[in-house]
Amino acid sequence: MTALRRLAVALAMLISFFPIYWLVSTSFKPHDEWATFPPVWLTERPTLQNYRIVFAPELAREVAATEAGSLDYKVSASAWKAFADSAIISTAATILSVLFGTLAAYSISRYRTGGENYPFQFLTIRMFPPIAVVVPMVVVFSFVRLSDTYPGLIIAYTAFTLPFSIWMIRSFIDEVPEDLESAAMIYGMGPMKAFLTVTLPLVKGGILATALFVFILNWSEFLFALTLTQGKIVTVTVQVANYVSASSGKLYGVQAAMGTVSTLPVILFGYLIQKHLVRGLSFGAIKR
Amino acid sequence: MGGARKRARPTADARGNALMDQDTAATMPTTRIRKPLIPFNVGLVLPAQLTMLAVVLAPTLIAIYLSVTDWQPTAGVPWYRAEIVWFWNFYDLWYDERYINALWRTLLVVVVAVVCELAIAIGLALLFLDEWPWRKLAVSVLILPMMIVPVDAANAFFMLFNDRGPINHLIGMAIGRSFEFSWLSDPNWALAPIVLCEIWQWTPLMFLLMLTGFTNLLQNQIRAAIVLGASRVRIFFRIMLPLLMPVIAVALLIRGIETFKIFDAVYILTRGGPGASTETISMFMYNGAFVYFRIGYIAAAALLVLVVVVSICLALSRPLKRHHG
Repeated sequence: MTALRRLAVALAMLISFFPIYWLVSTSFKPHDEWATFPPVWLTERPTLQNYRIVFAPELAREVAATEAGSLDYKVSASAWKAFADSAIISTAATILSVLFGTLAAYSISRYRTGGENYPFQFLTIRMFPPIAVVVPMVVVFSFVRLSDTYPGLIIAYTAFTLPFSIWMIRSFIDEVPEDLESAAMIYGMGPMKAFLTVTLPLVKGGILATALFVFILNWSEFLFALTLTQGKIVTVTVQVANYVSASSGKLYGVQAAMGTVSTLPVILFGYLIQKHLVRGLSFGAIKR
Repeated sequence: MGGARKRARPTADARGNALMDQDTAATMPTTRIRKPLIPFNVGLVLPAQLTMLAVVLAPTLIAIYLSVTDWQPTAGVPWYRAEIVWFWNFYDLWYDERYINALWRTLLVVVVAVVCELAIAIGLALLFLDEWPWRKLAVSVLILPMMIVPVDAANAFFMLFNDRGPINHLIGMAIGRSFEFSWLSDPNWALAPIVLCEIWQWTPLMFLLMLTGFTNLLQNQIRAAIVLGASRVRIFFRIMLPLLMPVIAVALLIRGIETFKIFDAVYILTRGGPGASTETISMFMYNGAFVYFRIGYIAAAALLVLVVVVSICLALSRPLKRHHG
């Protein structure tokens, strides 16, 4: 490995890492270091005040009263609500998406349901900009009283992750020889029982990877969370956007703290399924 | 794959009929097995299919209706009693420079971002073909950007490109004098941080796709070429690149579609401003529907985009299909 190549890899790693470093380091900066010139690369006075403002506004106010130069920022609600909402919606939508996806993938893989082109119609939903569906969806949802409710977002998330579930799980089921199920059926099992007792245990890992992948998509989703809610339901992404816009860019430390915490679970899950990411994001088309 | 699988299967339906044929009705008169209403395999896809129809088909039908009205939620009339204006929305869109500009701008973003991603990704992947110490760790660090929430990535870039942020500071250090420039409030340059954010976040995916493609290549041809004395550049352009084409096609298709939908970064960084200078098609429709409340007009715009995108995608999805074989 030549020095030049080593340099190129090091530079690429630096560029990949730097914005994330900046986000995390800003989250520990006291408020007078957020936007000074020259910028502070590594703070010498790390503080937890930004995290207090995000999670415990009351406590933050107390600290601000006793500590000189600490920021007292009136945040209406703590971010716990956003984390709870995101967890509820993402988990429920993930379970539904993977359940429906597994059933459909099994049917498509083993019975060629609907012919060769049928699975492609599920992909069309990932093709057009979601905003094009959102506009009429907002009208429908307010008509059937689903806007700003958990079920509303759960239905939307389920539908928009179904293509990933179906295609990814299908690629896992395709890898299991069908003869195993046929053998089980010769011994008198019904097709569903053969699938559940023979194939399902073999693709368990794949389905779990799909579930984590879909969870990441749900947790990161922003557009639906922004447009299908009016304030009763707040997801983490909307909370991040609220900090950015409400302050018109003056609360860097608080934004950074919220950004750091909201992205942590996703990074963890992402590395857990690292070897399946390519398969997931290419709808099972490219495998290792 | 094909033929061997297409044989008769003992479905619930088939077994039901078999029982009936043996005239078991006489021996068990009370438990007649009837033909199920829907076949077993169709029943399995129903939950997924119904969800899709509810979330895609119903709104699309309503969008078609809304697109011929001039409905605005602020008008005080329920949407189902809005005034019909027929095709005036589409006529107006044709002459709406903001819409046309947003379309062209989105295409520009797609082309620039995807081409840059592909070029960087292929270059990087070539560095990772042979084993070297820390290789795995390096890959893990390189794919960090695609792991984080897009809104948070945009948030980080928002801070980086601040007037007094580290990017300006670095440029200042490079040119040797203090440099202050408001990237996000300059109509000519505000698109740059958005595109850079997109490239930064999604080059890692391209890189993984290319790396997978390169490692799956058959090594025999490359070894033969090396033995025959071909230069490295020649091997890359004449053997590796052509063999990689299917993977590149899938990668371009997937990233092209995803980039066309770009919204999160635009919303966080500029909201389409200053003026409308960074408005992509998603941002245009968001502003139209949720800032100016012109639902009917935006429904028409959405329908046009739907028709264009779906027809392009159906034409382009052939490589994906071929890949699945």
